[in-house]
Amino acid sequence: MFVVRRMQRNVVTVAPDASLYEARELMRGHNVHQLPVTGGNGKLVGILSNRDVREASLPVALLSGATEKEAEDLLRNTPVEKVMTRKVVTATVDDTLEDTVVLLHDFRVNSLPVVDGQGRVAGIISRTDVLKAFIDVLGVGEVSSRLEVVVPDRPGGLAQIMTIIKGFNVNITSVLTTGAPEEGKRAIFFRVATQNVVPLKQAIREAGFRILDPSSFHL
Amino acid sequence: MNRVAFVYHPDYLLHESPFDHPESPARLTAITEHLQATGLMEKMVPLTPAYTENGDIFRVHAPEYLQRLESACRRGDLTLDAGDTYLCRNSYAIAFLSAAGAMAGAEAVFTGKVRRAFCALRPPGHHSDRNTGMGFCLLNNIAIAARYLQARHGVSRILIVDWDVHHGNGTQSIFLEDPSVFFFSIHEHPSFLYPGTGRRWETGKGAGEGATLNAPMSPGAGDDEYRHAFEQMLRPAVDRFRPEIILVSAGFDGHKDDPLADIQLTGEGFRYMTRFVVEMADRHCGGRVVSLLEGGYELKSLTSSVEIHIRELLGT
Repeated sequence: MFVVRRMQRNVVTVAPDASLYEARELMRGHNVHQLPVTGGNGKLVGILSNRDVREASLPVALLSGATEKEAEDLLRNTPVEKVMTRKVVTATVDDTLEDTVVLLHDFRVNSLPVVDGQGRVAGIISRTDVLKAFIDVLGVGEVSSRLEVVVPDRPGGLAQIMTIIKGFNVNITSVLTTGAPEEGKRAIFFRVATQNVVPLKQAIREAGFRILDPSSFHL
Repeated sequence: MNRVAFVYHPDYLLHESPFDHPESPARLTAITEHLQATGLMEKMVPLTPAYTENGDIFRVHAPEYLQRLESACRRGDLTLDAGDTYLCRNSYAIAFLSAAGAMAGAEAVFTGKVRRAFCALRPPGHHSDRNTGMGFCLLNNIAIAARYLQARHGVSRILIVDWDVHHGNGTQSIFLEDPSVFFFSIHEHPSFLYPGTGRRWETGKGAGEGATLNAPMSPGAGDDEYRHAFEQMLRPAVDRFRPEIILVSAGFDGHKDDPLADIQLTGEGFRYMTRFVVEMADRHCGGRVVSLLEGGYELKSLTSSVEIHIRELLGT
């Protein structure tokens, strides 16, 4: 699925010459932890996190005898571009959700501005948005039972189990699979819309598959 | 020995699956035969409910759902929607009769005709919410009984203890925003078992915030873990809430021999939980306990657990 399906489109941005004070108020007002910084043409020029703001005002806060007024003055007199991160990890509008999962993980960032072909900010995707996608995919909260089946890692293993489940006229609400619990095998995770899993489990076992005990679930 | 009503109707056997199914009439036949064989039946007060009116059901369920259920039964549909909740032509009427049994038990206990009641009902009820049946349940018997007590007797604090191994999602959703009904469910963790709800942070909503309490148990948990949850979670909650009556969704499918789940309760676990509820009822509400059968599919452990449960209700 493409990142544009899951990203937030109403992005709060800030200009590079805005003050850190303004930026902090924007973050508080919109309850966000970072602001993409955009130039006059809407192009992304940097990103500012609430940590950048905190760190900028920290030296003053630590000075003995410093007042809150002095800290605030510092924020008012410091432009965003002075502390923003210029090298931004971004996603593009053509990226998939998988791309963003890898980017968020590998670059250890909390969110990615999503830019279009002209380098303008089209949206933003955060770890929270990705987690929401996972909640949906896992079928958490959907009325269903869960099974984990070990199948040989070759074409057709999944199909055979699907056929068995279809035979019971039971709806599958989620399917995931993960690499081998043992050599040459895969674990397949199902959520099925039934409470009566006993005959289902029995039929799957009779077809020669192993059903995992809940304590050894992989996912 | 306490006066305990045994609520039952022979027509409960008429809700039958068109195919092989664990929620079968054989469950009730096994229970009644076992209670007769052990001599427990004659120690209880038999109570046969009468068929009920729509009005009592409307307090919980949407008229559109009742219409849908009725026409599905009349048409001869085999299941409700595409699920595993089977139907036969009798099911609509028997679901009403099951709810009527719950209300009859609640009435007898609340008015003092008996001190406690065990209602051997089917179809079970705790998965049904306002708008649909699911998980073998058609009408939410315990919710209908609770609403009956509120409407007829003005009961303002009702405790529901649900120890069926599956989360009582229907009951929870019906009372989610209702502070006058405290709902406690202990069940196998939703990541492993149907219906996939009942996580520990589901604690009610709006005015009902704090009046729902869930204790999800890991697969393999048994008597000790259940005892711990009752002591640590339920006891302080009940002492704060001070119920006027306790209703129990008594499922026996948490027994180690039951094939539908992975919880390892023994008969002693059911003895403990029943004693706990009775003790709480003695302390707060004149001993008033109404217990409703929910799940429990392995007949041997079902009957032996029901026997233990009833002995504790009787106090013999």
